[in-house]
Amino acid sequence: MIDVQRPSCQPLLSVRDLVVQYQGASGAVQAVRGVSFDLASDESLALIGESGCGKTTLGLALLGLLPKAARIMGGQILYRTRDGRVVDVVRLSDAELRRFRWQECAMVFQGALNAFNPVLKIWDQVVDTARAHGFRDRTRIREQCERLLRLVQLDPTRVLDSYPHELSGGMRQRVMIALSLLLEPRLVIYDEPTTALDILTQRAIIEVLRSLRQELGFAMVFISHDLPLAAELADRVATMYAGRIVELADVRNLFYRPRHPYTRGLLLAVPPVSGPLTTVVSIPGSPPSLASLPAGCSFAPRCEFATDRCRREEPTLSTVAPGHWSACHHWSAVSLDRWMERLGGASHA
Amino acid sequence: MSAEAVVVRHRRYPLRQLAAWLRDLLRHDKVGFLGVLGILFFVGLALFGPIVVPEPGKPDVTKIYQPPSLEHPLGTDYEGRDVLAQVLRGGRSLIVVAVLAALLSTVIAITFGALAAYLGGTVDSLTGLVTDVILTIPQFPLLVVLSAFVKLDRPWLLAVLIGLLSWPTLLRAVRAQVLSLKEREYVEAARALGLSTFHILFREILPNMAPYIVMSFTIGVTSAIYAQVGLYFLGLAPLAGENWGIMLNLAWVRGAIFFKDSVLYILSPILAIALLQLSLVTAARSLEGLFNPRLRES
Amino acid sequence: MSVRRHGSPRTVQVIRRLLRAYALRRVLKAVITVWIVVTATFFLVRLMPGSPVEVYIHTLISQYGFTYDEAANQAAALFAFDPNQPLLVQYLDYLRSLARGDLGQSLVSPGTPVSSILLSYLPWTLFSAGLGLFVSFVSGLFLGMLMAYRRGGLIDHVLTALGSFFQAVPNYLVAIVLIVFLGVQLGWLPVTKMRGAVSPGVQPGLTVAFVADVLYHAALPVLTYVLTTVGSWMLLMKSSTLSTLEEDYVTVARARGLSDGRIMRAYVGRNAVLPLFAQVAIAAGFVVGGSVVIERIFVYEGIGFVLLDAINRRDYPLMQGIFFVITLSVIAANLLADLLYSRLDPRIRRHPAEGDR
Repeated sequence: MIDVQRPSCQPLLSVRDLVVQYQGASGAVQAVRGVSFDLASDESLALIGESGCGKTTLGLALLGLLPKAARIMGGQILYRTRDGRVVDVVRLSDAELRRFRWQECAMVFQGALNAFNPVLKIWDQVVDTARAHGFRDRTRIREQCERLLRLVQLDPTRVLDSYPHELSGGMRQRVMIALSLLLEPRLVIYDEPTTALDILTQRAIIEVLRSLRQELGFAMVFISHDLPLAAELADRVATMYAGRIVELADVRNLFYRPRHPYTRGLLLAVPPVSGPLTTVVSIPGSPPSLASLPAGCSFAPRCEFATDRCRREEPTLSTVAPGHWSACHHWSAVSLDRWMERLGGASHA
Repeated sequence: MSAEAVVVRHRRYPLRQLAAWLRDLLRHDKVGFLGVLGILFFVGLALFGPIVVPEPGKPDVTKIYQPPSLEHPLGTDYEGRDVLAQVLRGGRSLIVVAVLAALLSTVIAITFGALAAYLGGTVDSLTGLVTDVILTIPQFPLLVVLSAFVKLDRPWLLAVLIGLLSWPTLLRAVRAQVLSLKEREYVEAARALGLSTFHILFREILPNMAPYIVMSFTIGVTSAIYAQVGLYFLGLAPLAGENWGIMLNLAWVRGAIFFKDSVLYILSPILAIALLQLSLVTAARSLEGLFNPRLRES
Repeated sequence: MSVRRHGSPRTVQVIRRLLRAYALRRVLKAVITVWIVVTATFFLVRLMPGSPVEVYIHTLISQYGFTYDEAANQAAALFAFDPNQPLLVQYLDYLRSLARGDLGQSLVSPGTPVSSILLSYLPWTLFSAGLGLFVSFVSGLFLGMLMAYRRGGLIDHVLTALGSFFQAVPNYLVAIVLIVFLGVQLGWLPVTKMRGAVSPGVQPGLTVAFVADVLYHAALPVLTYVLTTVGSWMLLMKSSTLSTLEEDYVTVARARGLSDGRIMRAYVGRNAVLPLFAQVAIAAGFVVGGSVVIERIFVYEGIGFVLLDAINRRDYPLMQGIFFVITLSVIAANLLADLLYSRLDPRIRRHPAEGDR
């Protein structure tokens, strides 16, 4: 196994060879196929990929929240608790798992609009959460909650006394973010936290998250299909394709020197801030069905670098530079610059 | 196979389509398949029962309440007539009246539901009000009271009365469906092509709702059977002719329940009615299960 | 704010605000429904060919040698309106006496007000039908949730089959089968003794003996109502629970580390039950409507039992009165369910505030 650990840090979370399988009516499908990564206690990691690449399944697996049809077939999710013990989330008992959730690791979901029970006031749901973890001092809960709500720029008195439907989508998502920090978890997973929101609210949420992390210092896994958005919050970025991490690097390295054709494709599909829109190129084809993956590299059918070797032999994640891993046989040929030049030449001709 | 293909084949070969649907049902929904088989059986019974099976014989005092025998497999009734023959012949009038009633209420529901959705405004609110009122009035007591004013001696009258009272649920569904389908692209496209409202309704919207309408029709038949048998059992509809409701009434009133030998006499109409209702409800449920995902939103 | 400036009448504003209140709208709707039913029955009875009023007057004239005026006066007392007045005046008279609780007098036992007959029989129907509805609603909720949580299991399959069976079979058939088997053929239940609403000689009051006796007599009708309606509650609750389990807030609640019990009660159960309230009116109508047959089968002396008597004797004022209270109780059950629903669902109680963006 290659070492995917950041050299200097003791990891808070280290996922090893995780395999998650869905048992469907028409057979088993692996949604996560051997994923490994480390996360330091002050670090922010973004998981990027198109929908259906297994990133949400991975997020759910980290909390032991997989739906009934899904099973963890192998691998470990090692988490270092506050008292220094290392536990495997996969093997926690139900009671331990319940304590682990939210107190150690909280999660904010993409379905923000529907994340709250419609028939309970926000305050009741806050109390529910606290009590589930044995906190019964209502004044303390109230204080902590009001502090957090002010941090996400909401009026605590009004919000806590409201029913979910009385708040706007942006407000609800901010309440959710505040609630995720209620028990001071050391890891928060954000699964597309801004997807259902309008562009202005998206910006506001990103700002809130950035300042919260500066203020409170927790580790973060940010799941998104939106590369630029993830780049704003992430220290490192992992690109996922067909249930695997295909590239993992510091955010700068990944952006300026992508070493996997898929990452490169995602970058080129981003509309430039300035310049003509014609430079936007989307990746041809669509992601493969996890039920029938091609032999060899699963990205090969959509890849312009693909050779016979790619269609035969599946590449493994390997070091291409210090702190930079890629799963591509032709990583050295992948470069943004060369492609840009070619594009420029072609348009002049 | 795409939905399009099904529709096209349906238009050309209705029988083959029915067979294909049944085969599909057998594979995925055995209970629903049994329900459909049951319905086919009872339809056959209604059509051919009174033709094929001879009359249950003349009253004969010497043969009252006989236990089952080879000659009378289900025994005899209070005046010595064969029970089996009565059961086999007694489905027709109930089923015919129930189908007529369900047909009438379906037509009312579709017409006024679609009109209310299309015209909106006063027509819509007025339909809504009437629907609400009819829905709150308990149907069976109303029929019972009406039976004091109207002599229910003609089958079509019973059908009309029941039909006039059972349309509200379907009407609401049709209205909701038309309102939502109205917004969909292909209807908008049809309108852009300058097709008339009624063309859109009958060629685009109703075919889309067909499964739901069939389901609601089936449920309508069950409630019409319920009402009829109830009226006959209470003796509020004239006890002329032969049907399971009348059998039930006579068996009850003449005290068949108190004799061990004549238990089959009262049980056989009960069983016939229960099986018919069960077939209808299971078939309706499998229809609902097949098509509900799309209809549930509205 | 703009109210005073434009000088528009404040009362209009107040009324408009009141109309927006859910509870008031519901009450208003119930009142309108009652009014429509009353009006429809009035004109039905009055305008039907061979109207019962006419029939009665003619019987008095031909059989007892009354003059038309005498007969008409007698009829006026019985039907709570005066047949000699113009129709509109009669209608208003009828409404006025109805508002006072005067439903006329019974034809068969002259001098007995319909309202007093109703008062002595209606409570039994309301009690047995209400109890049946309540028991079947509550047990349907629990069984439905159980089925949803154990979906695909043995319990789910067995309950689904039983539920569909009893839902499909008409309630009076179930009642007859209960009598035939439990009562007569097997002789397990003294069905003849269980007739009536109370045993003769038992003193009404909040005593154990009285309550036990009442329950004893109501047992079979209630059992029938429960058996024939619990299936649909069960199946409705199952599908409602299944779709609620898919909701994001349930996953989020699990992520928050809430206990399964708390999630089941406050997150799944409470939300899953909401759509069922829309069905209460239909169920109430069905149970109360079915009471006409069920009470006859078990000889349970409630309003349905009396209705049949009234019809067989052509006691029109009594019939009209009974139909009126049956409808009234269904409307009341509906209103009750609506109000309860609005208590449980804050989205209906309050109006959404303006969002911040």
